[in-house]
Amino acid sequence: MRMSLRRYLTAPLWIIPLALGAVVLALPYLGTAPAVLRIIVSICLLALLVVGLNVTFGYSGELALGQAAFYAVGAYLAGYLAIQGFDLSITVLVALVAAAVVGLLTGIPGLRLGSWSMAMVTFFLVLLVPDVVTLLTEHTGGPSGLTGIPLPVLFGARLSTTGYYTLVVAVTIVFFVVIRNFIVSPHGQALRVMHTSPVLARSLGFSVTRLKLTAYLIGAAPAGVAGALFAYQDGYISPTSFGLSMAIVILAATIIGGSASIYGAVVGAAIMVIGPLRATGLQQYSLIIFGLILLVGALFFSGGIAGLARKLVRRYLVRDEVLPDAQAAVPSDDLISRLRGETLEVKGLVKRFGGNTALNDVSVTFAEGTVTGLIGPNGSGKTTLLNVVSGFYRPDEGTIRLGGDDLTTLQPHRIARRGVARTFQTPIIPQGLSVVETIAIAMQSAHGVTLASSILRLPGFARTRRRHRAQALELLALLDIAHLADVEASSLPLGTRRLVEVARALAADAKLVLLDEPASGLDEGEVAELAALIRKLRASGATIVLVEHNFEMVMSVSDHVYVLDTGRIVSEGDPDHVRSDPRVTEVYLGTALGAREEER
Amino acid sequence: MVTTLWAGLSIGAVYALVAIAYNIVFIGTRVFNFAQAYILMVGTFIAVEAASRFDLPLGVAIVVCAVAGALIGAVEEFIAVRPLARKGSHNELVTTLGIGVILSGIALVLWGSEPRAMPYLKEFGVLDVLGGRVTVGELSLIVVAIVVGVGMWLLSTRTSIGLTALATSEDRDAAMLRGVNVRGLATGAFALAGALVGAVAPLVATKTYATYHLGEGLAVKAFLVLALGGFGSMLGSLLAAGIVGILEMFAARYLGSDWQNITVFVLLLIVLVVLPHGLFSRGKAQERVV
Repeated sequence: MRMSLRRYLTAPLWIIPLALGAVVLALPYLGTAPAVLRIIVSICLLALLVVGLNVTFGYSGELALGQAAFYAVGAYLAGYLAIQGFDLSITVLVALVAAAVVGLLTGIPGLRLGSWSMAMVTFFLVLLVPDVVTLLTEHTGGPSGLTGIPLPVLFGARLSTTGYYTLVVAVTIVFFVVIRNFIVSPHGQALRVMHTSPVLARSLGFSVTRLKLTAYLIGAAPAGVAGALFAYQDGYISPTSFGLSMAIVILAATIIGGSASIYGAVVGAAIMVIGPLRATGLQQYSLIIFGLILLVGALFFSGGIAGLARKLVRRYLVRDEVLPDAQAAVPSDDLISRLRGETLEVKGLVKRFGGNTALNDVSVTFAEGTVTGLIGPNGSGKTTLLNVVSGFYRPDEGTIRLGGDDLTTLQPHRIARRGVARTFQTPIIPQGLSVVETIAIAMQSAHGVTLASSILRLPGFARTRRRHRAQALELLALLDIAHLADVEASSLPLGTRRLVEVARALAADAKLVLLDEPASGLDEGEVAELAALIRKLRASGATIVLVEHNFEMVMSVSDHVYVLDTGRIVSEGDPDHVRSDPRVTEVYLGTALGAREEER
Repeated sequence: MVTTLWAGLSIGAVYALVAIAYNIVFIGTRVFNFAQAYILMVGTFIAVEAASRFDLPLGVAIVVCAVAGALIGAVEEFIAVRPLARKGSHNELVTTLGIGVILSGIALVLWGSEPRAMPYLKEFGVLDVLGGRVTVGELSLIVVAIVVGVGMWLLSTRTSIGLTALATSEDRDAAMLRGVNVRGLATGAFALAGALVGAVAPLVATKTYATYHLGEGLAVKAFLVLALGGFGSMLGSLLAAGIVGILEMFAARYLGSDWQNITVFVLLLIVLVVLPHGLFSRGKAQERVV
């Protein structure tokens, strides 16, 4: 029996995990043995650590090993404050804030240099735990541990064992709801985009540093709180609970459960707690076992158990269909008015790479509501020009202005937000997103939902999401691919993926659309469709720049053509003028001869 | 004072050697080998065994350790790195960390958790050089690190194999098209780096002893040396290692041993914020964005 796609997408499937959570919450009242409840508490605490790592590692792609350190910070602060007689509400809050502070202190430097530095900074952070504990022996009990942590007191009332159990499970459920809401919101989708390609994330208007830091802090928060709760479990904590082996256990649980998943964290944590962590006979071999899990898991099961489950559900339980709103979608006047472009003026642009001048005094104008062709042999500087305009290369000289605003020194994501959108030579489509989601993500940075509204699911969240879906469907209708709205975008054939990229570029209220070799890899029929689409967009007033090798296609759709050779504009004018310009023939034939000689 | 200086320079020499090994792998494959310092750790145990159980002379022990290190490195490349080539960005960090953890686990099972002292070079005792106390092992470490660092610098910038490796690290596809055996180069880099840390393991063990968790501390501090010296820069690593080693030993002496790692960690954070490309970056190559 298969569920319809519509059900799968709209049914409140989140009720299932929530109901499971409620059952677990009720276990003490169903006569479950205390030993089992104790194991569940351990699973919950580990799951909190693991789900945090999933956000940073699985979704944002930064291997952060510091969960064990945040856990320690939370546990020691809560333990110390509880001994001083503070209420649990205070100790948990302090632990949360402290984890965030340590997260900021390590995250800002760690994220500077990319993947290794994050892994190493956080690894180092974990190694420091015993040193810091020893330094503060007076407050932490030093290597022998902190004893005498009282039973938790919440809002003045002493919690029983059952009360403590209920609290831990409830806090775990709350964190899972919050993180799940974060991940399935556009904020979480932005992380996937960044994981696939930081370049794409920036060209959609996201600041990569900010995305990564947000993910890292959201990952650190549950670890700090888990530490605070852990302090009360036995009333005793010692540095051995927070060492490197704990960091390795957390990472292993992440890998087993599936790093790019939420509920996989519970599965991974449960497997680690019930399996290797309890098998005392294996203690001696535990490092070898954990190491093997990391090695084998990362090599062969990159999606973990959750990834496997997701694939099976989508393949066997869901029937594909075109949803009614996708069938009914038509481009509205409002959409057409938002496609209206602006003029981009480039003056005296120079870009050097070492001794090589890739762009030499290039001045071009991409006029409002026109299609400009940019052609030239390989290495003539076409793509360099695109990269300078979209901010990925800083020009050595010259200015770039869009509709009067100076873009020359802006960061790529700022330029994108100002309205410069682009496609890529090889389409970059993140995995795991539907066509509509792939397009809607481009609307997030400029007109998106706030983080708080996503996490708490405020009314604005649903409204914005509906509006983004409607707008994306209109765009797809304009491109005649609305029937693909809910198909996974990365699984589409090349020609269609290019169209999805064009739709994504248009979605962000683009004032200038840069198409980087959109016709390469397309067959004749697809090229003709693409040409028709470009004409349609021009009719709507869009400003389009076409970088292309397909000479005939450029000539057939462009209003104005620039010919680049070795970093200079050698010819410009309308297509007929350029076609008959002897310099153009020379550029093309000259290099053709040169290329032939080189081949010999 | 001078004694602390010698201690700093010699521990810095150990970091420098691991950092140079990181660099070799990095230049050859663009991969960061988390397990590098763990290979050195295994080497120290093999050296202790060679001396105490088999009574091998130091020279033979060095050769045995180098061969073992090269083997571990090559096997690691084959099982933990090659299958991932072209697949994803961060999984090498997990798989090489996995190898490191496995090596720690094996060392724990085979040799236990007690540190083992190194019998070699004991007979020379402690020397008095420039008014500071230093062992022959420590002095040799400093000399070896400088010789290896300069040697690797010459190798990577003056010989065709070194230049090939540099070119490959800049653009793997272009190198492959030019007929470079990219896979062979990768295995070679891992094996060479493994052989290097293996060969110096007997000397390192005279200073650090052999313990199963030696790898962790060395891994992070050698990373700091790499970051401070500039990724890919052999001479930068040498200088940075001296700075880190001396800072660490002075912190231990004047602030207390619990401050040793914390001080180094703070330096790491500062370096990453203030000097993200290190003191001697080879000049950041402009990568083609798309």
